[in-house]
Amino acid sequence: MEQVRKYSEEELVLLLQQKDQAAFSYLYDNYAAALNGVIFRLTEDYSLAEDILQEAFVKIWNNFASYDKTKGRLFTWMLNLTKNLTIDTLRSKGYKKQAKISGDENIVSNVQDSTTGVDKFDTVGLRKQLSGLKPEQRTIIEMAYFAGYTQDEISKTLDIPLGTVKTRMRTAILELRKHLQYT
Amino acid sequence: MDAKDIISSGLLELYAAGLTSAEESLQVQQYVQLYPEVAAELAAIEAGVEAFATAMPVTPAPEVKEKIFARINETAKPVPITAGNDIAPVVTISSRWKSAAAAAILLLVGSAAVNIYLYNRNNNMQAQLQQVQNTVASLQEKNKEMDTYLEAVRNRYSTPVSLSGLSPEAADATAKVYWIKNTGDVYVDASSLPAAPAGKQYELWAIVDGKPVNAGIIVQTPSGKTYQIQKMKAFGNAQAFAISLEKESATPADTPTEVYALGKM
Repeated sequence: MEQVRKYSEEELVLLLQQKDQAAFSYLYDNYAAALNGVIFRLTEDYSLAEDILQEAFVKIWNNFASYDKTKGRLFTWMLNLTKNLTIDTLRSKGYKKQAKISGDENIVSNVQDSTTGVDKFDTVGLRKQLSGLKPEQRTIIEMAYFAGYTQDEISKTLDIPLGTVKTRMRTAILELRKHLQYT
Repeated sequence: MDAKDIISSGLLELYAAGLTSAEESLQVQQYVQLYPEVAAELAAIEAGVEAFATAMPVTPAPEVKEKIFARINETAKPVPITAGNDIAPVVTISSRWKSAAAAAILLLVGSAAVNIYLYNRNNNMQAQLQQVQNTVASLQEKNKEMDTYLEAVRNRYSTPVSLSGLSPEAADATAKVYWIKNTGDVYVDASSLPAAPAGKQYELWAIVDGKPVNAGIIVQTPSGKTYQIQKMKAFGNAQAFAISLEKESATPADTPTEVYALGKM
Protein backbone atom coordinates (compact mmCIF):
# COMPACT_ATOMS: atom_id res chain seq x y z
CA MET A 1 0.00 0.00 0.00
CA GLU A 2 1.49 3.28 -1.00
CA GLN A 3 -0.75 5.71 0.73
CA VAL A 4 0.53 9.20 1.21
CA ARG A 5 0.27 9.46 4.96
CA LYS A 6 0.30 12.82 6.54
CA TYR A 7 -0.97 11.66 9.90
CA SER A 8 -0.53 8.44 11.79
CA GLU A 9 -3.83 6.83 12.72
CA GLU A 10 -3.23 7.82 16.33
CA GLU A 11 -2.65 11.47 15.45
CA LEU A 12 -5.67 11.47 13.21
CA VAL A 13 -7.89 10.08 15.96
CA LEU A 14 -6.57 12.57 18.47
CA LEU A 15 -7.16 15.51 16.13
CA LEU A 16 -10.63 14.33 15.17
CA GLN A 17 -11.56 14.02 18.83
CA GLN A 18 -10.63 17.69 19.05
CA LYS A 19 -12.82 18.46 16.03
CA ASP A 20 -9.89 19.41 13.84
CA GLN A 21 -11.29 20.17 10.37
CA ALA A 22 -7.94 19.78 8.61
CA ALA A 23 -7.71 16.24 9.98
CA PHE A 24 -11.29 15.63 8.87
CA SER A 25 -10.42 16.85 5.40
CA TYR A 26 -7.50 14.42 5.34
CA LEU A 27 -9.79 11.64 6.53
CA TYR A 28 -12.21 12.38 3.72
CA ASP A 29 -9.50 12.53 1.06
CA ASN A 30 -8.15 9.17 2.19
CA TYR A 31 -11.30 7.18 2.83
CA ALA A 32 -14.22 8.76 0.96
CA ALA A 33 -13.56 6.84 -2.27
CA ALA A 34 -13.22 3.49 -0.50
CA LEU A 35 -16.39 4.07 1.53
CA ASN A 36 -18.25 5.39 -1.49
CA GLY A 37 -17.22 2.20 -3.27
CA VAL A 38 -18.73 0.16 -0.46
CA ILE A 39 -21.96 2.17 -0.62
CA PHE A 40 -22.09 2.03 -4.39
CA ARG A 41 -21.77 -1.73 -4.52
CA LEU A 42 -24.81 -1.94 -2.22
CA THR A 43 -26.94 0.73 -3.88
CA GLU A 44 -25.77 0.56 -7.48
CA ASP A 45 -26.75 4.20 -7.68
CA TYR A 46 -24.07 6.91 -7.88
CA SER A 47 -26.27 9.74 -6.69
CA LEU A 48 -27.81 7.79 -3.80
CA ALA A 49 -24.36 6.57 -2.84
CA GLU A 50 -23.09 10.13 -2.62
CA ASP A 51 -26.07 11.16 -0.48
CA ILE A 52 -25.37 8.33 1.90
CA LEU A 53 -21.66 9.10 1.87
CA GLN A 54 -22.47 12.65 2.88
CA GLU A 55 -24.60 11.40 5.76
CA ALA A 56 -21.92 8.95 6.77
CA PHE A 57 -19.22 11.60 7.01
CA VAL A 58 -21.44 14.02 8.90
CA LYS A 59 -22.17 11.18 11.31
CA ILE A 60 -18.47 10.35 11.60
CA TRP A 61 -17.79 13.97 12.47
CA ASN A 62 -20.63 14.32 14.93
CA ASN A 63 -20.23 10.95 16.61
CA PHE A 64 -16.49 10.78 16.61
CA ALA A 65 -16.46 10.70 20.39
CA SER A 66 -18.04 7.27 20.23
CA TYR A 67 -15.07 5.84 18.36
CA ASP A 68 -13.05 3.75 20.80
CA LYS A 69 -9.67 2.82 19.43
CA THR A 70 -9.37 -0.08 21.88
CA LYS A 71 -12.23 -1.74 20.01
CA GLY A 72 -10.68 -1.64 16.58
CA ARG A 73 -9.16 0.38 13.78
CA LEU A 74 -10.60 3.66 12.65
CA PHE A 75 -11.42 2.33 9.19
CA THR A 76 -13.34 -0.63 10.63
CA TRP A 77 -15.46 1.74 12.70
CA MET A 78 -16.15 3.99 9.70
CA LEU A 79 -16.84 0.99 7.49
CA ASN A 80 -19.37 -0.51 9.91
CA LEU A 81 -21.03 2.88 10.45
CA THR A 82 -21.27 3.45 6.68
CA LYS A 83 -22.45 -0.07 6.00
CA ASN A 84 -25.21 0.11 8.61
CA LEU A 85 -26.31 3.54 7.41
CA THR A 86 -26.51 2.25 3.83
CA ILE A 87 -28.49 -0.83 4.79
CA ASP A 88 -30.88 1.24 6.92
CA THR A 89 -31.35 3.72 4.10
CA LEU A 90 -32.03 0.99 1.57
CA ARG A 91 -34.46 -0.67 3.95
CA SER A 92 -36.36 2.58 4.53
CA LYS A 93 -36.58 3.03 0.78
CA GLY A 94 -38.02 -0.44 0.37
CA TYR A 95 -34.96 -2.06 -1.08
CA LYS A 96 -34.44 -5.65 -0.27
CA LYS A 97 -31.11 -7.07 0.50
CA GLN A 98 -30.32 -8.90 -2.67
CA ALA A 99 -27.47 -10.88 -3.88
CA LYS A 100 -25.86 -7.92 -5.49
CA ILE A 101 -22.80 -9.78 -4.66
CA SER A 102 -21.73 -11.59 -7.69
CA GLY A 103 -19.26 -14.27 -7.23
CA ASP A 104 -17.76 -12.97 -10.38
CA GLU A 105 -14.06 -12.55 -9.99
CA ASN A 106 -14.32 -9.47 -12.16
CA ILE A 107 -16.31 -7.66 -9.53
CA VAL A 108 -13.29 -5.60 -8.72
CA SER A 109 -12.72 -4.49 -12.28
CA ASN A 110 -16.48 -4.18 -12.92
CA VAL A 111 -16.62 -1.16 -10.71
CA GLN A 112 -15.53 1.84 -12.66
CA ASP A 113 -13.19 3.95 -10.70
CA SER A 114 -14.33 7.41 -11.49
CA THR A 115 -11.30 8.97 -9.96
CA THR A 116 -11.01 12.50 -11.15
CA GLY A 117 -8.19 13.84 -9.05
CA VAL A 118 -4.93 12.37 -8.00
CA ASP A 119 -5.20 8.73 -7.07
CA LYS A 120 -3.84 8.56 -3.60
CA PHE A 121 -3.71 4.83 -3.48
CA ASP A 122 -2.11 2.33 -5.66
CA THR A 123 -5.51 0.84 -6.35
CA VAL A 124 -4.29 -0.82 -9.48
CA GLY A 125 -1.58 -2.61 -7.56
CA LEU A 126 -4.06 -3.63 -4.88
CA ARG A 127 -6.44 -5.01 -7.45
CA LYS A 128 -3.71 -7.02 -8.96
CA GLN A 129 -2.90 -8.47 -5.59
CA LEU A 130 -6.50 -9.32 -4.85
CA SER A 131 -7.18 -10.82 -8.23
CA GLY A 132 -5.66 -14.03 -6.93
CA LEU A 133 -8.53 -14.48 -4.46
CA LYS A 134 -10.95 -17.28 -5.23
CA PRO A 135 -14.46 -16.08 -6.18
CA GLU A 136 -16.08 -17.79 -3.19
CA GLN A 137 -13.57 -16.14 -0.88
CA ARG A 138 -14.23 -12.78 -2.42
CA THR A 139 -17.96 -13.38 -2.05
CA ILE A 140 -17.89 -14.25 1.63
CA ILE A 141 -15.69 -11.21 2.37
CA GLU A 142 -18.10 -8.96 0.46
CA MET A 143 -21.11 -10.40 2.25
CA ALA A 144 -19.70 -10.22 5.78
CA TYR A 145 -17.73 -7.01 5.65
CA PHE A 146 -19.44 -4.86 3.08
CA ALA A 147 -23.01 -6.04 2.56
CA GLY A 148 -24.11 -6.50 6.16
CA TYR A 149 -25.10 -10.14 5.89
CA THR A 150 -25.56 -11.89 9.20
CA GLN A 151 -23.93 -15.25 9.86
CA ASP A 152 -27.32 -16.84 9.36
CA GLU A 153 -27.88 -15.09 6.02
CA ILE A 154 -24.43 -16.07 4.82
CA SER A 155 -25.10 -19.66 5.81
CA LYS A 156 -28.41 -19.70 3.90
CA THR A 157 -27.18 -17.81 0.85
CA LEU A 158 -24.06 -19.91 0.43
CA ASP A 159 -25.85 -23.04 1.58
CA ILE A 160 -23.21 -23.92 4.12
CA PRO A 161 -23.73 -24.94 7.79
CA LEU A 162 -23.84 -22.02 10.22
CA GLY A 163 -20.83 -23.36 12.10
CA THR A 164 -18.78 -23.28 8.92
CA VAL A 165 -19.29 -19.54 8.29
CA LYS A 166 -16.66 -18.61 10.84
CA THR A 167 -14.01 -20.92 9.46
CA ARG A 168 -14.77 -19.96 5.86
CA MET A 169 -14.38 -16.34 6.77
CA ARG A 170 -11.10 -17.07 8.49
CA THR A 171 -9.77 -18.91 5.45
CA ALA A 172 -10.86 -16.14 3.10
CA ILE A 173 -9.26 -13.40 5.18
CA LEU A 174 -6.06 -15.42 5.55
CA GLU A 175 -5.94 -15.79 1.79
CA LEU A 176 -6.58 -12.07 1.36
CA ARG A 177 -3.73 -11.26 3.73
CA LYS A 178 -1.44 -13.67 1.94
CA HIS A 179 -2.07 -11.92 -1.37
CA LEU A 180 -1.49 -8.54 0.15
CA GLN A 181 1.84 -9.67 1.47
CA TYR A 182 3.35 -11.66 -1.29
CA THR A 183 2.17 -10.28 -4.57
CA MET B 1 -9.14 -20.41 25.49
CA ASP B 2 -5.58 -19.43 24.82
CA ALA B 3 -4.45 -16.90 22.22
CA LYS B 4 -3.91 -19.56 19.53
CA ASP B 5 -7.41 -20.99 19.91
CA ILE B 6 -8.94 -17.53 19.81
CA ILE B 7 -7.02 -16.65 16.66
CA SER B 8 -7.89 -19.86 14.82
CA SER B 9 -11.56 -19.86 15.86
CA GLY B 10 -12.61 -17.22 13.33
CA LEU B 11 -14.18 -15.14 16.07
CA LEU B 12 -11.91 -12.18 15.29
CA GLU B 13 -12.99 -12.17 11.63
CA LEU B 14 -16.63 -12.08 12.71
CA TYR B 15 -15.90 -9.31 15.20
CA ALA B 16 -14.20 -7.12 12.59
CA ALA B 17 -17.30 -7.50 10.41
CA GLY B 18 -19.52 -6.42 13.32
CA LEU B 19 -21.23 -9.80 13.27
CA THR B 20 -20.60 -10.85 16.84
CA SER B 21 -23.17 -10.61 19.62
CA ALA B 22 -22.67 -7.95 22.29
CA GLU B 23 -21.41 -10.66 24.61
CA GLU B 24 -18.95 -12.04 22.08
CA SER B 25 -17.75 -8.53 21.26
CA LEU B 26 -16.99 -7.87 24.91
CA GLN B 27 -15.13 -11.15 25.04
CA VAL B 28 -13.04 -10.24 22.02
CA GLN B 29 -12.23 -6.86 23.54
CA GLN B 30 -11.04 -8.64 26.67
CA TYR B 31 -8.91 -11.06 24.64
CA VAL B 32 -7.39 -8.13 22.77
CA GLN B 33 -6.40 -6.50 26.04
CA LEU B 34 -5.10 -9.77 27.41
CA TYR B 35 -3.10 -11.17 24.50
CA PRO B 36 -0.91 -8.99 22.29
CA GLU B 37 -0.96 -11.76 19.63
CA VAL B 38 -4.75 -11.51 19.47
CA ALA B 39 -4.57 -7.72 19.16
CA ALA B 40 -2.01 -8.04 16.34
CA GLU B 41 -4.14 -10.63 14.55
CA LEU B 42 -7.25 -8.47 14.75
CA ALA B 43 -5.30 -5.47 13.43
CA ALA B 44 -4.04 -7.59 10.50
CA ILE B 45 -7.57 -8.75 9.70
CA GLU B 46 -8.84 -5.18 9.76
CA ALA B 47 -5.95 -4.01 7.60
CA GLY B 48 -6.84 -6.73 5.10
CA VAL B 49 -10.46 -5.63 4.96
CA GLU B 50 -9.34 -2.02 4.58
CA ALA B 51 -7.08 -2.98 1.68
CA PHE B 52 -9.94 -4.88 0.07
CA ALA B 53 -12.17 -1.80 0.27
CA THR B 54 -9.40 0.47 -0.91
CA ALA B 55 -8.92 -1.67 -3.97
CA MET B 56 -12.45 -0.84 -5.15
CA PRO B 57 -12.88 2.90 -4.75
CA VAL B 58 -15.59 4.98 -6.32
CA THR B 59 -14.47 8.56 -6.15
CA PRO B 60 -17.38 10.81 -5.22
CA ALA B 61 -18.07 14.13 -6.92
CA PRO B 62 -16.12 17.07 -5.45
CA GLU B 63 -19.35 18.77 -4.28
CA VAL B 64 -19.88 15.99 -1.76
CA LYS B 65 -16.93 17.14 0.33
CA GLU B 66 -18.11 20.76 0.10
CA LYS B 67 -21.59 19.77 1.25
CA ILE B 68 -20.21 17.80 4.17
CA PHE B 69 -18.06 20.71 5.32
CA ALA B 70 -20.98 23.10 4.94
CA ARG B 71 -23.05 20.76 7.11
CA ILE B 72 -20.50 20.35 9.89
CA ASN B 73 -20.06 24.11 10.03
CA GLU B 74 -23.74 24.74 10.65
CA THR B 75 -22.94 24.20 14.28
CA ALA B 76 -26.07 25.73 15.74
CA LYS B 77 -28.50 23.68 13.71
CA PRO B 78 -29.27 20.10 14.59
CA VAL B 79 -28.17 17.61 12.00
CA PRO B 80 -31.16 16.57 9.89
CA ILE B 81 -31.37 12.95 8.98
CA THR B 82 -32.40 12.84 5.39
CA ALA B 83 -31.32 9.38 4.44
CA GLY B 84 -34.13 7.64 6.27
CA ASN B 85 -36.80 8.72 8.65
CA ASP B 86 -36.76 5.51 10.58
CA ILE B 87 -33.15 5.81 11.58
CA ALA B 88 -33.08 6.20 15.29
CA PRO B 89 -30.72 8.96 16.40
CA VAL B 90 -27.65 7.43 17.91
CA VAL B 91 -26.82 8.90 21.25
CA THR B 92 -23.34 7.94 22.15
CA ILE B 93 -21.37 8.59 25.23
CA SER B 94 -17.64 8.49 24.79
CA SER B 95 -15.67 6.16 27.01
CA ARG B 96 -13.90 9.22 28.33
CA TRP B 97 -17.19 10.62 29.60
CA LYS B 98 -18.18 7.21 30.88
CA SER B 99 -15.03 7.02 32.95
CA ALA B 100 -15.53 10.63 34.02
CA ALA B 101 -19.05 9.75 35.16
CA ALA B 102 -17.75 6.66 36.94
CA ALA B 103 -15.07 8.77 38.62
CA ALA B 104 -17.68 11.36 39.63
CA ILE B 105 -19.90 8.67 41.15
CA LEU B 106 -16.92 7.21 42.99
CA LEU B 107 -16.03 10.66 44.27
CA LEU B 108 -19.60 11.26 45.39
CA VAL B 109 -19.81 7.93 47.21
CA GLY B 110 -16.39 8.53 48.71
CA SER B 111 -17.29 12.01 49.85
CA ALA B 112 -20.56 10.74 51.36
CA ALA B 113 -18.59 8.10 53.26
CA VAL B 114 -16.15 10.73 54.49
CA ASN B 115 -19.07 12.95 55.51
CA ILE B 116 -20.71 10.16 57.46
CA TYR B 117 -17.38 9.36 59.06
CA LEU B 118 -16.75 13.01 59.96
CA TYR B 119 -20.31 13.46 61.20
CA ASN B 120 -19.96 10.44 63.49
CA ARG B 121 -16.56 11.59 64.61
CA ASN B 122 -17.93 15.04 65.34
CA ASN B 123 -20.71 13.50 67.43
CA ASN B 124 -18.15 11.40 69.25
CA MET B 125 -15.96 14.41 69.88
CA GLN B 126 -18.92 16.38 71.21
CA ALA B 127 -19.79 13.54 73.57
CA GLN B 128 -16.16 13.37 74.64
CA LEU B 129 -16.06 17.12 75.12
CA GLN B 130 -19.20 16.97 77.26
CA GLN B 131 -17.57 14.26 79.35
CA VAL B 132 -14.42 16.31 79.79
CA GLN B 133 -16.48 19.36 80.74
CA ASN B 134 -18.37 17.30 83.32
CA THR B 135 -15.11 16.00 84.72
CA VAL B 136 -13.69 19.51 84.87
CA ALA B 137 -16.81 20.78 86.63
CA SER B 138 -16.70 18.00 89.21
CA LEU B 139 -12.97 18.53 89.72
CA GLN B 140 -13.54 22.23 90.19
CA GLU B 141 -16.21 21.51 92.77
CA LYS B 142 -13.90 19.09 94.55
CA ASN B 143 -11.13 21.64 94.39
CA LYS B 144 -13.39 24.22 95.98
CA GLU B 145 -14.29 21.80 98.78
CA MET B 146 -10.63 21.04 99.27
CA ASP B 147 -9.78 24.72 99.41
CA THR B 148 -12.41 25.19 102.10
CA TYR B 149 -11.08 22.18 103.97
CA LEU B 150 -7.48 23.33 103.74
CA GLU B 151 -8.51 26.81 104.81
CA ALA B 152 -10.13 25.33 107.91
CA VAL B 153 -7.33 22.92 108.70
CA ARG B 154 -4.25 24.97 107.86
CA ASN B 155 -5.41 28.21 109.28
CA ARG B 156 -2.98 28.94 112.08
CA TYR B 157 -5.85 30.00 114.29
CA SER B 158 -7.72 26.77 113.59
CA THR B 159 -8.67 24.71 116.61
CA PRO B 160 -9.76 21.20 115.78
CA VAL B 161 -12.40 19.55 117.93
CA SER B 162 -13.05 15.84 117.64
CA LEU B 163 -16.60 14.70 118.23
CA SER B 164 -17.32 11.06 119.13
CA GLY B 165 -20.52 9.12 119.21
CA LEU B 166 -22.20 8.90 122.58
CA SER B 167 -24.34 5.78 122.28
CA PRO B 168 -22.70 2.34 121.84
CA GLU B 169 -24.17 2.10 118.30
CA ALA B 170 -22.62 5.42 117.43
CA ALA B 171 -19.23 4.62 118.99
CA ASP B 172 -17.48 4.60 115.58
CA ALA B 173 -19.15 7.78 114.41
CA THR B 174 -16.81 10.71 114.41
CA ALA B 175 -16.90 14.22 113.11
CA LYS B 176 -14.46 17.07 113.23
CA VAL B 177 -15.14 20.67 113.92
CA TYR B 178 -12.59 23.33 113.12
CA TRP B 179 -13.06 26.52 115.07
CA ILE B 180 -11.08 29.49 113.81
CA LYS B 181 -10.22 31.36 116.94
CA ASN B 182 -9.67 34.86 115.59
CA THR B 183 -12.75 34.97 113.35
CA GLY B 184 -15.01 32.59 115.20
CA ASP B 185 -15.73 30.70 111.94
CA VAL B 186 -16.85 27.13 112.43
CA TYR B 187 -16.31 24.33 109.91
CA VAL B 188 -17.59 20.81 110.26
CA ASP B 189 -16.19 17.75 108.53
CA ALA B 190 -18.99 15.20 108.65
CA SER B 191 -17.47 12.71 106.22
CA SER B 192 -17.10 10.03 108.89
CA LEU B 193 -20.67 10.32 110.10
CA PRO B 194 -22.99 7.51 109.03
CA ALA B 195 -25.92 8.58 106.92
CA ALA B 196 -28.71 9.98 109.06
CA PRO B 197 -31.70 7.62 109.56
CA ALA B 198 -34.62 8.22 107.24
CA GLY B 199 -36.59 11.33 108.18
CA LYS B 200 -33.78 12.59 110.37
CA GLN B 201 -30.95 15.11 109.90
CA TYR B 202 -27.83 16.05 111.83
CA GLU B 203 -27.55 19.48 113.35
CA LEU B 204 -24.50 21.11 114.93
CA TRP B 205 -24.58 22.83 118.29
CA ALA B 206 -22.08 25.02 120.05
CA ILE B 207 -22.13 24.87 123.81
CA VAL B 208 -21.79 28.46 124.87
CA ASP B 209 -21.82 29.18 128.61
CA GLY B 210 -23.31 25.71 129.27
CA LYS B 211 -26.17 26.23 126.81
CA PRO B 212 -26.48 24.65 123.38
CA VAL B 213 -26.83 27.12 120.51
CA ASN B 214 -27.78 25.81 117.09
CA ALA B 215 -24.92 26.15 114.58
CA GLY B 216 -26.87 24.95 111.58
CA ILE B 217 -28.05 21.88 109.68
CA ILE B 218 -25.31 19.55 108.51
CA VAL B 219 -25.93 18.83 104.84
CA GLN B 220 -24.94 15.29 104.11
CA THR B 221 -23.78 14.93 100.54
CA PRO B 222 -23.83 11.60 98.78
CA SER B 223 -21.04 9.30 99.89
CA GLY B 224 -17.86 9.05 97.82
CA LYS B 225 -16.91 12.65 98.36
CA THR B 226 -13.55 13.00 99.97
CA TYR B 227 -14.08 16.38 101.53
CA GLN B 228 -17.39 16.98 103.17
CA ILE B 229 -16.62 20.18 104.90
CA GLN B 230 -19.23 22.75 105.59
CA LYS B 231 -19.06 26.23 107.00
CA MET B 232 -21.42 26.70 109.91
CA LYS B 233 -22.46 29.71 112.01
CA ALA B 234 -19.63 31.62 113.67
CA PHE B 235 -19.13 31.71 117.39
CA GLY B 236 -16.89 34.07 119.29
CA ASN B 237 -16.74 31.70 122.16
CA ALA B 238 -17.67 28.03 122.74
CA GLN B 239 -16.67 25.35 125.19
CA ALA B 240 -17.84 22.34 123.27
CA PHE B 241 -19.55 21.23 120.10
CA ALA B 242 -22.29 18.66 119.75
CA ILE B 243 -24.17 16.96 116.97
CA SER B 244 -27.79 15.99 117.44
CA LEU B 245 -30.28 14.05 115.39
CA GLU B 246 -33.38 16.07 114.63
CA LYS B 247 -36.53 15.53 112.64
CA GLU B 248 -35.95 16.47 109.02
CA SER B 249 -36.83 20.13 108.59
CA ALA B 250 -35.75 23.22 106.70
CA THR B 251 -35.38 25.22 109.92
CA PRO B 252 -32.92 24.30 112.66
CA ALA B 253 -34.30 23.13 116.00
CA ASP B 254 -34.26 25.38 119.05
CA THR B 255 -33.08 22.72 121.45
CA PRO B 256 -31.32 19.44 120.73
CA THR B 257 -33.60 16.42 121.07
CA GLU B 258 -31.11 13.56 120.78
CA VAL B 259 -27.42 14.37 121.19
CA TYR B 260 -25.49 12.02 118.96
CA ALA B 261 -21.89 13.08 119.34
CA LEU B 262 -19.97 15.45 121.53
CA GLY B 263 -16.51 16.98 121.67
CA LYS B 264 -14.96 19.43 124.04
CA MET B 265 -12.46 22.14 123.16
